[in-house]
Amino acid sequence: MTGLANFAAAIWDLATFTTLFHVTWATLLGIFVGSLPGLTATMGVALLTTLTYTMDRDAAILVLLCMYVGAIYGGSRSAILLNIPGTPASAATALDGYPLAQQGRAGYAMGLATAGSALGTLIGIILLVLLAPPLAEAALRFGSYEFFWLALFGVVISGQLTGGGSPLKGYISGMLGLMIAMVGSDGIHSHIRLTGGWDQLNGGIGLIPAMVGAFGFAEVLSVMWQAVPQMANSTAKGPGLPSLIDLWRYRITIVRSGIIGTLVGIIPGVGEDIGAWASYAAARRKSPEREMFGKGSTEGLTAAETGNSAVVPGALIPALTLAIPGSAPAAVLIAALFIHGIRPGPMIMIEQPTFIYSVAAMMVFATIAIGVFGVALTPLFIQVLKIPRAWLMPVVFVLCVIGPYALTQRIFDIWIMVAFGVIGFLMRQMKYPVAPLVLGIILGDLLDKSLRRGLILSDGDVTAFFTRPISLGFAIVIALSILLSIGPVRRVIAAKNPFASKAKP
Amino acid sequence: MRLDSARADRITAIVLVALGLTMLWAGYTMDRLEIRRIHPSSIPGLLPMILGGGMAICAVFLYLGARDPDDPPPDASWRTMLLAGAWSAAFALLLVGTLPFYVATAIYVAGFVMIFDTDMAPLKRAVAACIFGILAAGIIGALFRYAFLVRLP
Repeated sequence: MTGLANFAAAIWDLATFTTLFHVTWATLLGIFVGSLPGLTATMGVALLTTLTYTMDRDAAILVLLCMYVGAIYGGSRSAILLNIPGTPASAATALDGYPLAQQGRAGYAMGLATAGSALGTLIGIILLVLLAPPLAEAALRFGSYEFFWLALFGVVISGQLTGGGSPLKGYISGMLGLMIAMVGSDGIHSHIRLTGGWDQLNGGIGLIPAMVGAFGFAEVLSVMWQAVPQMANSTAKGPGLPSLIDLWRYRITIVRSGIIGTLVGIIPGVGEDIGAWASYAAARRKSPEREMFGKGSTEGLTAAETGNSAVVPGALIPALTLAIPGSAPAAVLIAALFIHGIRPGPMIMIEQPTFIYSVAAMMVFATIAIGVFGVALTPLFIQVLKIPRAWLMPVVFVLCVIGPYALTQRIFDIWIMVAFGVIGFLMRQMKYPVAPLVLGIILGDLLDKSLRRGLILSDGDVTAFFTRPISLGFAIVIALSILLSIGPVRRVIAAKNPFASKAKP
Repeated sequence: MRLDSARADRITAIVLVALGLTMLWAGYTMDRLEIRRIHPSSIPGLLPMILGGGMAICAVFLYLGARDPDDPPPDASWRTMLLAGAWSAAFALLLVGTLPFYVATAIYVAGFVMIFDTDMAPLKRAVAACIFGILAAGIIGALFRYAFLVRLP
């Protein structure tokens, strides 16, 4: 009850004119960023981090959260109208959203996406308030051994779940991220490693320039590489908003998708796209009208949008309590929290006992804003989608250049951004997921320090990493995950699965 | 040109094996700080060695498992992408820092619109691109300079 009381108090504290002003512009900007193919939530949060540098702490966090929530929701606009997901999170939305738009029900589809997104975020917020404090308390018992396995778990699971058909490429991406994190001063003895004599690399490779490059410049290149998308013809026609009866019909789908999305969000480095696909797949399996999925199913659209939006609060649970991001935008948020003097991690409930509730309250405001603006400003966002890429992309790239420079005033960070842009583009073309790379850069320091501290504590005895219950649990899960990602092993298990053979007629 | 083909995966695997072995060697030969009498298990090169070895092993599996994709190639233009990438890189790496930020940005934005907006008549496009470039440079520069107090490059 104390948690819910703190949550209510946080909402009351935030109900000021200044808050509403920041919520309004930041959510609108977020929806704008998410709507446009080529501008992702990660890029939006990363660029806005550089702009919130001079703002006070609470206002900055509020603005970044509104951008995150708005951008994930905004991706549904272009998914429905152009069949191009504005953000990767909306890929599942396009499957049913675009056919609905072609049938002349674009307005209805966008209304349904708005309702699904708002409800999904609210379910995630409730779970954030309920789960984050006990998780932070449990994490206080973690030592070097547990943190070593947790960091490894994050990279392995992220690699496996985002690698699609090839978990190996996900693992390679994560390992590349860890290798990049090894560059610069090490966290225990401050020894300069792997810089090749470049003094600018002594402090390591900055997360913000790397992410702006990998998600910003790489997106600019991808947009210029792709053919120009065509808008659905019948965007203006069709009935308006979904009625409450429609939403009540899908109440179980909404709750289930919200819970799935939040749980996917809690898994390190997995992100909104997997949340949407997992919710969509679960809804399809349970639905009586599953043959309609992919042809304009309103239930499929609701599941995908509820699922991806619920990932947002879910991704903040490990980000706030363990300093391990549940998604790529949450990784940028962690960096932003450090910039504004907040140290996420197990100590957060001791150092800032009300902060988690403030974050939840900020997200409630962002959710209300997407509900209001999503419905009221639909015609405006249709116009936004008509901005030619030749006019938008140079502005985006200028922001990619000046954003990282603004934080450190170093031209070298612009070079880092360009290098990561090229790497990010090549990785996408070669079907390597970028999220594990980012997670590797973030978790590399934790993995390195935990490994070496653990070995010092055990005087070089490796078995100490397997004797504590939580460590052993993590080790078993990691080993099983890697084993199950090996093709022949998976096929042997599938062949011997009695349930699979019974299911066949 | 496809970068997700079996051939591309094999070439990448060879590069990654080289990268992994280099990392392994760099970790192995890294200063072990004996002079500072650190615990031998906490040498700075420990994780780089493990990661280098791990990467080399993964790259071998990548080489062995490489196969061509089943899906058709996407409708895309490498020429447009390479031109956009080269122009953007020239702005970031050459113009910024050499010219004042406002001038560099105006040239870049105007140039980008002139090169890639092929729907307008040439003269009209040039005028619109110049106006847009100057406006974009002025607004972005002023925002960072005066609102966020950034000393522009």
